Amino acid sequence: MPFLDYKGTQLEVDEDGFIADPALWNEDLAKFIAETQEDIKDLTPDHWKLIYYLSKYYKDFGIAPMIRKVCKDTGFELKYIYELFPSGPAKGACKVAGLPKPTGCV
Amino acid sequence: MSEPKIIRFKDIARAGDEPLVTLTRDDLIEIPQLGDAPDVQSPQARWLERYDFSLDGFSDFDLPKPKTKEEEERLVNGFLRGLEKLFDPQSNWPFVKIFRLSLDYCVRCQTCSEACHTYIGSGRQEIYRPTYRSEVLRRIYQKYFTPSGKLLGSFVGADVEVNAKTVWRLLELSYRCNVCRRCAQVCPVGVDNALLAREIRKLFSQEMGIAPGELLKKGTRQHLKAGSSTGMTPAAFKDLVEFIEDDIFAKTGKKIKMPIDQKGADVLLIHNAGEFMAWPENPAAFAILFDAAGISWTLSSEAQGYDGVNYGAWFDDVELARVALRQISIAKELGVKKIVVGECGHAHKALCVLADRVLPGDLSLDQIPRESCLPLLWEIVKSGAVKFDPNKNDFPVTLHDSCNVVRLMGIVSPQREIVKAICKQPVREMTPNGVWNYCCGGGSGFAIMNSLNFDQWRKNVSERMKIKQVLDVFNDVLDPSINKYVIAACSNCKGAMRDGIDHYGLWDKFHITYGGLVDLMVNAMADLPQPYIEFGKQG
Repeated sequence: MPFLDYKGTQLEVDEDGFIADPALWNEDLAKFIAETQEDIKDLTPDHWKLIYYLSKYYKDFGIAPMIRKVCKDTGFELKYIYELFPSGPAKGACKVAGLPKPTGCV
Repeated sequence: MSEPKIIRFKDIARAGDEPLVTLTRDDLIEIPQLGDAPDVQSPQARWLERYDFSLDGFSDFDLPKPKTKEEEERLVNGFLRGLEKLFDPQSNWPFVKIFRLSLDYCVRCQTCSEACHTYIGSGRQEIYRPTYRSEVLRRIYQKYFTPSGKLLGSFVGADVEVNAKTVWRLLELSYRCNVCRRCAQVCPVGVDNALLAREIRKLFSQEMGIAPGELLKKGTRQHLKAGSSTGMTPAAFKDLVEFIEDDIFAKTGKKIKMPIDQKGADVLLIHNAGEFMAWPENPAAFAILFDAAGISWTLSSEAQGYDGVNYGAWFDDVELARVALRQISIAKELGVKKIVVGECGHAHKALCVLADRVLPGDLSLDQIPRESCLPLLWEIVKSGAVKFDPNKNDFPVTLHDSCNVVRLMGIVSPQREIVKAICKQPVREMTPNGVWNYCCGGGSGFAIMNSLNFDQWRKNVSERMKIKQVLDVFNDVLDPSINKYVIAACSNCKGAMRDGIDHYGLWDKFHITYGGLVDLMVNAMADLPQPYIEFGKQG
């Protein structure tokens, strides 16, 4: 597993930049992942709305929500989510929100 | 197309990191409708130091290369120990017989090679022949485990050295076969080279704990721990079902309660849990149809009971047994008459076929029969309980046959009869089709293996033949003003179709999309106010 330099500590991530330990996640880390892994310099209120939604769902259910549910609950269309996170809801938004990489037949 | 390189069996032991073969776009079979297909991407430079790409420049294994002599020896010894166990009836009783027969009786006619979509799709690269991998294994066995091989070595063909490179390349090579078993089907003497590929995977997993992360750590282990390989817990499952019920109401105006844990229902329906996450319209369509047909059915909210996958089918008998036992005991506790497997080919293979081989005593058919959903769906159509209007499905449709449902289990006509009843245009049959089909290219775990650059191999090599077949079957209606639908009644095949359609741009260029069979059935239901299938919105 590769490591990222995060505030002088070594942060373990996988080859796609997902953090190895979701328990380490916080807002500051989200900003760091967004900037270093997703090339997103400024996180707008809409970015945060999506990030908090995903993070909370993961805390409640241990899994990322299905995309259609994300769209319905946030009121964002899929196209807009791709504008916010160009790598998409799973590879972009979930990564910044500290969720593990999606697994299983999805 | 350049001439494929001659590669000898003993080359698998070659020292160094240089791949035995390097693929470019020009090596692969041409897809005329596409003009320039995308080129094959090389692995990232930073990966090359850390990981082993010495088979063909592709890998899913983010495991560090052995650094010391001791680490190399551990790899070699583990491999030889595991190989010995494959021949031991005590360790490998479910498969030892066919394993031995397949190693003993190959007549080297290469009929299987010409049947293999991966070998042909790759531009006939030597190492992807179904027989290359098997012959390497055969020669290793001769050299290390037979008296004549030990004594006479290369004079009797026992010329493959086992070193760390051999072991690693053979591991990789066991994941260059979709285990579709088309090779076994055409073999004149009944050799099953696909089974040999799976036995090699099994050796690595059961003896050495080495398997792709998506299949073992994040696959069967997550399935057993969380309840599903997606990580879905029972609470998440219930949340998703509620959402799907709301979605059904919004789309169809039908208020349907999806039954959960209904004791004494006739049917326990088990889906691939990936459907709930990625294709929720599929379990929704099952609910709509079963409700309309008045079937007594239930889902299970027990961990493992709502995820019918069993990744052990791809690489490990022990993992397979653990998951299958849970699924069977859940059905017994519910007191259902049978398990019906939803649109998931590997769940069909695991529950309806392999489970009986691995757990015969616990699973005799009189206890809990297990069935494919396809005959039941045809019963629904035949019964007349649901009214279908074929005019609602007035677009070109082709049928992709899932290897596990069709070749393995021989279920060929129910899905075709259904399509005849619910579609305006006659089904377009691919060449070949039915039990002679080609795999989607995602079989045996490949559809979900996305570490390092394995996806590049899948998209460019193993999915290539299927993409070619799809374009050929729609060749006269390629105009993007005509929407076209590939039926893939299997989650894994759908994953591969989604991947291939995206990689080769089939939606953007030709308006070719894909989806399940039940989705198409619901789309034809006469009493639905609006189309169920939303073209262009498939994830």
